[in-house]
Amino acid sequence: MNIQYLLKELYYRRRRTLTAVFSLAVGLAILITINALSMAYNEAARIPLKEIGADITVQRAGDVPENLTGPVFACSAVTIKNDEITQIQQLPGIDGFAQALLLWVFDEDRFTIMLGIEGENPVGPGTLRSEVIEGKFFEKGKNQALAEVSYARTYNIQTGDQITIAGKSYMVSGIVDASRATKIAAANIYLDINDAQKLAEESKQVQAVSPFRTKDANILFIKANPKQIDPLTHSIKNILGEKASVATPASFLKSLGSLFALSDKFSLATSIIALIVTILIVLKTMAGNLAERTNEIGVLKAVGWSNKNIVSQLTGESIIQCLMGWILGLILSFIAAWLLGFIQVNIPIPWEMSPTPHFLPGGGDPVFKTLQLPVTISWSLATFSIILSVVVGAAASALLSNHISKIKPSEVLRNE
Amino acid sequence: MNNILTATGLNKAFDNLEVVKDVSLTIKKGEFVCLVGKSGSGKTTLLSLLSGLEQPTSGEVSINGTSITNSLENDLALFRRKAIGFVFQSFNLIPTLSAWENVALPLFPVKMEKEKRQERAMELLGQMEIDHRAEHRPSALSGGEKQRIAIARALVNYPEIIFADEPTGNLDSETGGAIMNILKHLHKNRGLSILMVSHDQELAASCDRIIHMKDGEVVS
Repeated sequence: MNIQYLLKELYYRRRRTLTAVFSLAVGLAILITINALSMAYNEAARIPLKEIGADITVQRAGDVPENLTGPVFACSAVTIKNDEITQIQQLPGIDGFAQALLLWVFDEDRFTIMLGIEGENPVGPGTLRSEVIEGKFFEKGKNQALAEVSYARTYNIQTGDQITIAGKSYMVSGIVDASRATKIAAANIYLDINDAQKLAEESKQVQAVSPFRTKDANILFIKANPKQIDPLTHSIKNILGEKASVATPASFLKSLGSLFALSDKFSLATSIIALIVTILIVLKTMAGNLAERTNEIGVLKAVGWSNKNIVSQLTGESIIQCLMGWILGLILSFIAAWLLGFIQVNIPIPWEMSPTPHFLPGGGDPVFKTLQLPVTISWSLATFSIILSVVVGAAASALLSNHISKIKPSEVLRNE
Repeated sequence: MNNILTATGLNKAFDNLEVVKDVSLTIKKGEFVCLVGKSGSGKTTLLSLLSGLEQPTSGEVSINGTSITNSLENDLALFRRKAIGFVFQSFNLIPTLSAWENVALPLFPVKMEKEKRQERAMELLGQMEIDHRAEHRPSALSGGEKQRIAIARALVNYPEIIFADEPTGNLDSETGGAIMNILKHLHKNRGLSILMVSHDQELAASCDRIIHMKDGEVVS
C-alpha cells in the first residue's frame, strides 16, 4: 500500500471522500447515540434506588386498617416476617441488605410519616446520615429521632426538642434534608428501627392488619449484582408470595414510558437498521469508487500491480475513510449526547414508596424524581464503533476484491 | 541478433468471433517494429496477446525466452513490472498523482525508498525534457506532455521491450512527430525493442520493420 497515492486519492477526490465519510459518520452517530440514549434511560431508572443505596426494594401489600388511629402500616405495606427476611438475606447475589419499618402515625394533634431505619447500615435509608443539616444523627438506644426539615419547619421543631410519637417521647438529635437524598421512603421522622418495631408491635391497628413481632419489618433494601437482579426478584416473590411488591431499575424503566426505555428490542432494532444502512453506504461508495476507477485499475495492472497490490491499496483507502467517518461520527455523537443531556426526565415514584395519605394535602399527587438524562458515550461503545468501522471497511474491500480480479486491462484500456 | 519476442500460432476468439488468426512472428532485440492495419484488423488485440495483457485462445508467446502463455495473472503482472513498458493512445495517467508520481507508478509496489523512486522518475522526466512539470497533475498538462510522461513511466523499470498502442493517435501532427522522435531516439541510442501499433503508414515508414494485419491475420 502506497500512503502517498492513498492520501492523494482521498484529497483530490474530495466529493467522493466526503460523501463516504459523512455517510458513515451519520450512520455511526445514529448507532452510537441510540445506544447511548438507551443506556441513559437505563441509568436514569437506576437513580431513584441508587440514591438510597439499593438496587431492589421489597414490600408486601396488605389490607387497609379499619381505624386510622395511632401507628398503622403505611400504604398497607404489611409485615415481612423475620424468618422471611433471613431467607431473603441468604439468597445468592446480594451484596448489601437493610430493613426498615414505614408507619403512619395518627396522633390527636398531628399526622406523622415515620420510618424506622438501621442507622449504621450503608445500604438503604442509613445513607441519610450524610444529609443531616443540623445537629447530629440519632444514637441507638437513646430514644432519639431525626426530623425532616420541612416537617420540622411546619411544627417548629428544633434540635434538642422533645417530640411525642404515638405516646412515646423522643429527643430530636438533628434535622435532615431527605429531599436532597431520595424520594423513596421519604418520611417526616426517622427513628432507630428497634424503636419503630416496638411502636408497631404495641399498635392494635398494626396487629389487626398483620401480626407483627419485634424483629419484623415492612420494607427491605437490597444491593445486588446487576446481573442477579432478575433472578433475585423471582426468588423474593417465591418467598413472600403473590402480594410481594419488588421495585427494581427495570420496573422504574417501564414507568418511564419512552420507546428507548420500554424496549431494549427497539434500540436493538434501530441499531441494526443503522448498522445495515452504514454497511450499505460503505459498499455503495466502494462499488462507485471501483466503477469510477475501472480504467485506473486497468492501468495499474498493465504497469505491473498485482491484484493483491490493488486490493490492499483500495482497502487502505476504505479503512482510512472509515476511520475518518468514525472520528466524525464520534464527534457528532458527543454533540448529540451533550444536547440530549438537556432532556429532563420525570421518573414516577410509586405511591407506596413515597407514601402520603390521600386525605392529606398533596397526598394524591404523583411524586416524581426529576433529573437530567445522563447521556454519555461509553468507552465500550466508542471501541465497538471503531472496530465496526475498520471491519466494515475491510469487509467491503474483501467483497469487492473478486470484482477487482475480474477487471481485464486489455478490455478497459481498449475502450479508451 | 537474438529474439526478444516470439509468438507461435496465436489465435484469439471472443465467443465465435475470431479476432486473431494463427499469427506467428518474432521481434529481435533492439528492433523497432510497427504493426499496421485498418481499424478492426486485430492489431490492438495482437499487442495485448504479445504483451501478456490478454491470454490467447491457443498458441504461445515468449519474451526473452520466458513463456508468458498460461501464466497466473499475478505472475504476469510481476513479469510486466520487470520486463515490459506500455505507452497508450490515451496516456492513461492517474489524475490524482503528479507527473513524477505517475512516472514512478510501476515502482510503488516495489520495496524502495521514496527518494530513490523520485530520483529515478526525475531522471526520466529530465530525459523527456519535462522535469519542470514534475509536480503538476495531468489535468494541468498538454497532450504532448502527458505522452512524454507516459513514455517515462514505460521506461522507469528498465524494460526489455516497449509496447506502444497508437502513441500519437491523440496528438496533433507536430506533437505526434515529437513523440515519434523520442521513441526513435530510445530505439537508436539505447537499443530498446519497440512494438508500435499504428494505422498511420507515414509513421510506420520510420520503423525497422512493418507487419501488416488484415482481418486478424498477418498478411506481410
